[in-house]
Amino acid sequence: MDFTLLLQQLLNGLSIGSVYAIFALGYTLIFSILGIINFAHGALFTLGAYFTYALMGERFGFNGLLANVALPVQLPFSIALILGSVLVGLVGVAIERIAFRPLRRRRADPLLTVVSSLGVALVIVNAIQYLVGSESYNFPVNTYGNLPVAINFGTADKPITIRTVQIVIFAVSVAIMGILTYCINYTKFGKAMKAVAEDPITANLLGIPTDFFIVITFFISSFLGGVAGTLVGSSVSIADPYFGIRYGLKGLAVIVLGGLGSIPGAVLGGLVIGLVEAFVPADYSAYKDAFAFGILFIMLLVRPQGLLGRRFVQKV
Amino acid sequence: MAEFLANYGFLIVSMVLGALLGLSLYLPLMTGQLSLASPGFYALGGYIAAILSTQVFKVSGGLFPIGLVLLEMLIAGVVSGILGVVVGIPALRLRGIYLAIATIAFVEILRILSLNLDITGGAVGIFGIPQPFQTPLEYLWIALPLLIVSMVILYRLERIRVGRAFTAIREDELAAGAMGIDPTYYKVLAFTLGAILAGVVGALSAHFLNTWNARQGTFDASIVYLTSVLIGGTRTFVGPVLGGMVFTALPEVLRAIADTAGLPLWLAQFLRDGRLIIFGLLIVLGTIFFPQGLVTPDLLKRQRHK
Repeated sequence: MDFTLLLQQLLNGLSIGSVYAIFALGYTLIFSILGIINFAHGALFTLGAYFTYALMGERFGFNGLLANVALPVQLPFSIALILGSVLVGLVGVAIERIAFRPLRRRRADPLLTVVSSLGVALVIVNAIQYLVGSESYNFPVNTYGNLPVAINFGTADKPITIRTVQIVIFAVSVAIMGILTYCINYTKFGKAMKAVAEDPITANLLGIPTDFFIVITFFISSFLGGVAGTLVGSSVSIADPYFGIRYGLKGLAVIVLGGLGSIPGAVLGGLVIGLVEAFVPADYSAYKDAFAFGILFIMLLVRPQGLLGRRFVQKV
Repeated sequence: MAEFLANYGFLIVSMVLGALLGLSLYLPLMTGQLSLASPGFYALGGYIAAILSTQVFKVSGGLFPIGLVLLEMLIAGVVSGILGVVVGIPALRLRGIYLAIATIAFVEILRILSLNLDITGGAVGIFGIPQPFQTPLEYLWIALPLLIVSMVILYRLERIRVGRAFTAIREDELAAGAMGIDPTYYKVLAFTLGAILAGVVGALSAHFLNTWNARQGTFDASIVYLTSVLIGGTRTFVGPVLGGMVFTALPEVLRAIADTAGLPLWLAQFLRDGRLIIFGLLIVLGTIFFPQGLVTPDLLKRQRHK
C-alpha cells in the first residue's frame, strides 16, 4: 500500500471512527450512571436523522402514513440539526420515564431493563417505518450551504480527496468530546453526575437530586445520538428506519472494545474500529462488519473490561 | 373442520415451530443467561438442511423422503451442538449484558457470512427446497412429536438434579458455586441444549418455508422470539410454549380483528401494519408489569389445587 492510499484510508477511518465515537459516548454515559446498555440508542440515532430531515422542510415519500407531508417552514441545516437533536433528547427523557424508571424504582433485574429498552427500540423503528415508509431519503444537495463538496490535495496522479462532510463530522465529534470531557471532569455539574454514577443512594443523601441527573444524562445521551444520526444521514443518506440499529450494533462493539462506562474508552474504541474498517482490504470489504464483531468477540474473551475499562467486581 | 385445517395448516405448523423456538431460548434463560444466540443456530440449521437437500441428496421427482429430512435435522442438531459448545465455553464466562452483546456479535457474524458466501446463495439465499409432504399441515407429523418430546424432556429436566442446578444458578450463581455446582458446566450445557433445539427446528423450517436466506436469523427475529418467551413466562417451560404459539399467531389474529366491520380506518390499518410496534409495547409493558411472564409456577400450582 503506497503512502497516498495509506493517508486517504487513514482520513476515512478517522471520519467514520469519530461517528462511532460520538455514538458510543451516548451508550457510555447511560452505562456509567445506571450500569445498563440502552438498546434503544440505535433507534434514537435514526430518529435524529429523520427529525432533522423533516425540520429542513423536506418531503416524505409515498409509503407511509405521512406521505407527501412536509413542514411549512424550511430551517437551515445547522438549526434543524440542533432542534432535531433536542427533540431526540426529549424522546430520550420520555423513554427514561416510561421504560427505565418503573423498573429502577422496583430494583428489578438489570436484564429486564435491557429487554425493556429492546422493546422501545422495536417501537421507535417500526413507528418510523409505519409513518414514513422504509425507503431511503437523501438530504438536499445544499445541506452544507456554500461549502465545496470535497477538498482535493496531493499530486495529480495521486490525489487525496476529503469530503467536506467528513471534516464536519470529525470537527463536530472532536468538539463534542472536548466539551463533554471538560464538563464531566471540571464542573460542579459533572462532579455531581460522577457522584450519582458512583453511588446513587449516598449521592441522594448528600443532597444531589439523583433522578434529575439521570434524566439529564438521558437527555444528553439521546441528544448526542441524534447528532450522530443526522451527521451520518447527511453524509450518505438515511438508508431506512433500521440504519441506526445496524450502527447501534457496531456501537456496542465500540464500547466493549473501549471499556464499558469509560468516556476516553468510547473515543478510542470508535477510532480503532473506524480505522480497522478503513484498512480492511477491498477484496474482503463485504466482511467489514464481521471484522468489527470478530474484534468484539475476541475482546470479550481476552479482556472483557475493554481497553480502558475498570474490572467490575461482583458484589455479594 | 377439514376446510379450517386446510386454510390454517400453515399457521398451525408455524405455531408449533414458534413454541419450539421459544423453548430453545428458554433453555439458557433457565440458568439466568440472556442469550440472543438462538436465531443464529436456527439460521445455521436451516442452511444445513437447505444445502444438503438441494445439493447433496438430490431426489428427482416425487416427494422428498422423510427419512432424509430427519437425517438433516440430526446433522443440524449435531453441528449446532458442537458450535454451541465451542462458542459457549468462552462466551459463558461472561455475565449479563456482556453475554447478550457477545451473542449478538455471534449472530451478526453468522449473518454476514451467510450474506456473502457462495454456498449460502448470498443475499438471495437458497430456494426451491424440496418438500417431503403434499400440504403444509402434514408437517405436523414431524413438528408435533418434536414439540411433545421436547416438552416431556423439559418437564423431566425441571425436576431432576440438572434442572435444579440450572435454577440454582439463575437465582444466585455465587451461592450455587459455593454449594458445589459448577456454574460454567451447567451454563454451557443449557446453552448447548438450546442451540441443538434451535438447529433442529431450523432444519425443519427450511423445508417448511421452502426457501432460506439471511433474513431468517436476524436481530429483529431474536427480539420477537425473546418477547414470546418473556411474556409467556421464564420460570416454567409452559410459558415459552404458550408464548411462542400466541406470538406466532398474533399477526394473524390482529389481521382478523382488523377485518371486523365498524372499526375506524386508522385503527384497522394500525392493527394490520403495526404488528412490531405492538410487539415492542408488549415487551415494555410486560417487563414492567409481569417481570416473570404470564405463566408462572405459582399460577400452575394454584390451578392444580383447585
